[in-house]
Amino acid sequence: MTTIFTCQNRFDDMMTCVYDAWASRLGHSNVRLMTEPIGNLELFCEYQHVDADPQKTASVIRSIQKKISPYAYSMVYRAAMSDQPDKLDTIYRFLVAGFHYGASVTDYLQEPIVMRIFELNRKAANEAHFFKEFIRFSNMQNNVLVSHIEPKSDVITLIAPHFSDRLPSENWMIIDDTRSTAVVHPMNQNYYLTSLSEKEMDQLSQETDDPFVDLWKGFFENIGIKERKNPRCQRNMLPLWYRKHMPEFH
Amino acid sequence: MEIAPRELSLQEKLNILADAAKYDVACTSSGSSRKGKKGHLGNAVADGICHSFSSDGRCVSLLKILLSNECIFDCKYCLNRSSNDRVRTTFTPEEICTLVIEFYRRNYIEGLFLSSGIVKSPTYTMELMYQTIYLLRTKHHFNGYIHVKAIPGAPEELITNMGYLADRMSVNLELPTIDGLKELAPHKNPKTLVKPIRQIQNGIVEHRLAIGKDPQMERSSHNRYLRSTIFEKNPFRRLESYKSLGSSMQQKLPSAGKSAPFVPAGQSTQMIVGATGENDLQLLSTTQKLYQQYDLKRVFFSAYVPLNEDSALPALGTAPPLLREHRLYQADWLLRFYGFHAEELLSVDRPNFNIMLDPKCDWALRHLEMFPVEVNRASYETLLRVPGIGTKSAYRIVKARRQGMLNFDHLKKIGVVLKRAKYFITCGGKMMYRIRVEEDFITRQLIGEDAKQNWEIDHPQSYRQLSLFDDYNFQSEVTVEDSQKSLLGQM
Repeated sequence: MTTIFTCQNRFDDMMTCVYDAWASRLGHSNVRLMTEPIGNLELFCEYQHVDADPQKTASVIRSIQKKISPYAYSMVYRAAMSDQPDKLDTIYRFLVAGFHYGASVTDYLQEPIVMRIFELNRKAANEAHFFKEFIRFSNMQNNVLVSHIEPKSDVITLIAPHFSDRLPSENWMIIDDTRSTAVVHPMNQNYYLTSLSEKEMDQLSQETDDPFVDLWKGFFENIGIKERKNPRCQRNMLPLWYRKHMPEFH
Repeated sequence: MEIAPRELSLQEKLNILADAAKYDVACTSSGSSRKGKKGHLGNAVADGICHSFSSDGRCVSLLKILLSNECIFDCKYCLNRSSNDRVRTTFTPEEICTLVIEFYRRNYIEGLFLSSGIVKSPTYTMELMYQTIYLLRTKHHFNGYIHVKAIPGAPEELITNMGYLADRMSVNLELPTIDGLKELAPHKNPKTLVKPIRQIQNGIVEHRLAIGKDPQMERSSHNRYLRSTIFEKNPFRRLESYKSLGSSMQQKLPSAGKSAPFVPAGQSTQMIVGATGENDLQLLSTTQKLYQQYDLKRVFFSAYVPLNEDSALPALGTAPPLLREHRLYQADWLLRFYGFHAEELLSVDRPNFNIMLDPKCDWALRHLEMFPVEVNRASYETLLRVPGIGTKSAYRIVKARRQGMLNFDHLKKIGVVLKRAKYFITCGGKMMYRIRVEEDFITRQLIGEDAKQNWEIDHPQSYRQLSLFDDYNFQSEVTVEDSQKSLLGQM
């Protein structure tokens, strides 16, 4: 009988889940890992919910960094941020391979499980890069910059360091509308991750009257060369679903 | 021009001067890597970041504007030439600073690209530009990317001072030959064009030597696995002259700090494609020469869009040669990342690119004696020469095959474009299918694969009706060679 370990869709929970699945000593082929919510329950399976435990999480992270490599850890982290349903199980299988091969496992692209984690990692990293490019801040009262995004992968922790380096002396926040989480960066301080209540979300979604939005739209309109108009190429480079929160397309 | 000039609003000025700047191609923000600082605004990322894509599909990375379009020059190809009747305006340095800071805070842009028409004189223009950049860097604490055009004919001192503030500087050559320049840009003197390029190069070299680096700019890190790139085999390398150069520059600039970076993202230039009769060979060898002789970081090509009526230029309404521009960029990549030389890609007998095939496929078809290549054993250098294998996939192949044999499924997942590569590789001694390694056969196959894509590049706004025949009407003319080939059934 297969035991399925489930946990919430957060990095700490996932790492504890890996720990518990491993420590259960049921054998790698007898366990599976999934993040919640679980859609259809399977027959002949036992489900076991796991809650985050800081010590177990820290121990897993330490082992990955020491016994495999820091690079493998960053791959695991990014893969954990992706929106694919098989990600947690993939991470588990990858770690099984990783503890066997060591640091060279990340080069082992012939191995399907390494290829899969490579793909998950690439998908999340690419999306994070797109949001570094296409995030738009709007200027609220007191010069606070607020940005809304609706990413598929959970990218805000991947992009926060970039903006923290870029805008160190500004008050800004990036809000993930689908997950109701936000990265908040007070001026000249470190940023932190927080979740927002509905009321806060409403407050932060108000439209502001900003003259620079119109200036930017005017610039954007004029910078394209009409003789070379190419919407197909534009869509390739900047897919439509990213445009929802970009003022120049509204 | 309006008779009673009224005061233009900032929005109107921005629209006019962005519209006037759009024909400049370079909008990259790459090459500089700089951490953010507390109290300052911005950083620079080595790979560059695009912030939007305009309706023509080009990246919008920098706030690309002219300082002024009140130009005294009368270059025939240019929209802002003095003989054109247009609304003229000039930004004040403060206006530009506000735009840059406020756009940057909202993550609209990666920095500023400042160019300008020649107001009054080159010196006056360059002074205004310097004032702007100086304000931006000091008063407004802007730490993001700045690309500035060096105005040929401006005093050396101004250009040097600018170099300490900007990330990238560029001088547009516009035309690869002196004759073309004389014909179309009578006010531009080839000698004054080259002078600032050389001056900036010397500044870069001096700074690099001072901080203990190689005088030549860094190129792609993977180039170290290649033996004969255009940068390695460089006939213009001037090792000896650098020593004397260092001291002479320092005497001229007593105020400049030794460790202050000078144009850290290097120089670039741009050339117009299709305004005059230059062939691809001339363009590409000039490009290679610029990389070697002046150590430019990038050379850009811009398909000429007819804007002015002139007997020396293509008629208004002529479509820009987009596919030709695309081929030149492909070749430019082959020079910088794949270890190709211009002489390998084109020759005096075949001075233009094949419109049907990309330059790498074209080269491979002329060198079938080197193929097929065994993926599990071939060197990185050889892998890069296979059509369908790029720098990323070649690197992944080299790493992965240390762990075990690779087969075609692995290659597909790794990112190799098998529809092109399959004619040129073997895995474990076997080709993917039974394929005749025969020029005519492979040419026919490859042309069939890419025809639709090529047609779309050439006609970005239109659709093609379904047809039973291969009647792709490309804008580029069919050469005598092509028609011979089609007669012989090769195409």
